[in-house]
Amino acid sequence: MPYQMQVDGMAEISETLSKLEERAPAVAAKALYEGAGVMADAVNNAAGSIKTAPFKWASRRRGETRLPSPEEKAIVQQAAVGIAKFNKNGTEVDTSVGFRNAGYAELKGKTVPIPKIVNAINSGTSFMRKQPFVRQAARSGASKAIEAMKTAIEAEFEALTK
Amino acid sequence: MPSEYEALVAALKLTDIPFAEYGWKTRPEGAYGVISLEGESGHLDGDGEKLDRAWEGSIDLFYPKLTDRGDLIEEVEETLAAICGNSWELNSTQYEDSTGLFHVEWVFEVMDTPEPEEAETTPGEGDQNAVSDAG
Repeated sequence: MPYQMQVDGMAEISETLSKLEERAPAVAAKALYEGAGVMADAVNNAAGSIKTAPFKWASRRRGETRLPSPEEKAIVQQAAVGIAKFNKNGTEVDTSVGFRNAGYAELKGKTVPIPKIVNAINSGTSFMRKQPFVRQAARSGASKAIEAMKTAIEAEFEALTK
Repeated sequence: MPSEYEALVAALKLTDIPFAEYGWKTRPEGAYGVISLEGESGHLDGDGEKLDRAWEGSIDLFYPKLTDRGDLIEEVEETLAAICGNSWELNSTQYEDSTGLFHVEWVFEVMDTPEPEEAETTPGEGDQNAVSDAG
């Protein structure tokens, strides 16, 4: 005996799905914005954990090393962690979070690019021990950022299906 | 400490480049390296336990401008490939204006898998299995 199966509401589902396709890039961008915000906060928080010591010259001849000075840490903490312009390609959206366009700061009467200070602390130099706080923030912030993005997508999806 | 990290430190210390963990108090002349373990980057859970853990760390290589860089980079990368498989990358290359040193940075991930024999069988169970296999 042949069975017959009927599904109601297929038209609405397909309508919603077609709407979703249209709105996908906007939804993705909104979610990405939320996630990038979480990452930027994580980097800012991690900057608070940089170890410092009062500034002293590290003798190059004797191969001495030093810690970042409190002034350098203050510059990094006050610098705005930037979110780059969103790069859209179809439904794909990507961005980057960091200090690339953080600008310049006054340090010991000199104007120094902030990315240079951040890089010296984050990557280390021959006279400064590395404190990779940006990577640490990326590690601990990734799961939170994914959660934030999920919540944003779900909220958008609910608004769309209503 | 993860076992692969211990192996990596031991292997790097066998190379011609002087290597130290977590930085030098007084850095040596010429080329030198630093290896550090930075934290846990991921874990696989089961039965309320961490079954597998991945740790992230980095290797920094400094060498003066005019040294024969020769096989310095290859030596580090071959060591990384031998111990970490493919879970490493060259993170950045930099040049320090003030000291004239090149700085190459790698980030790697190592595993810390508990020994299976210790966890799986108690001595009693092992004996029983041996008997049943023989039968």
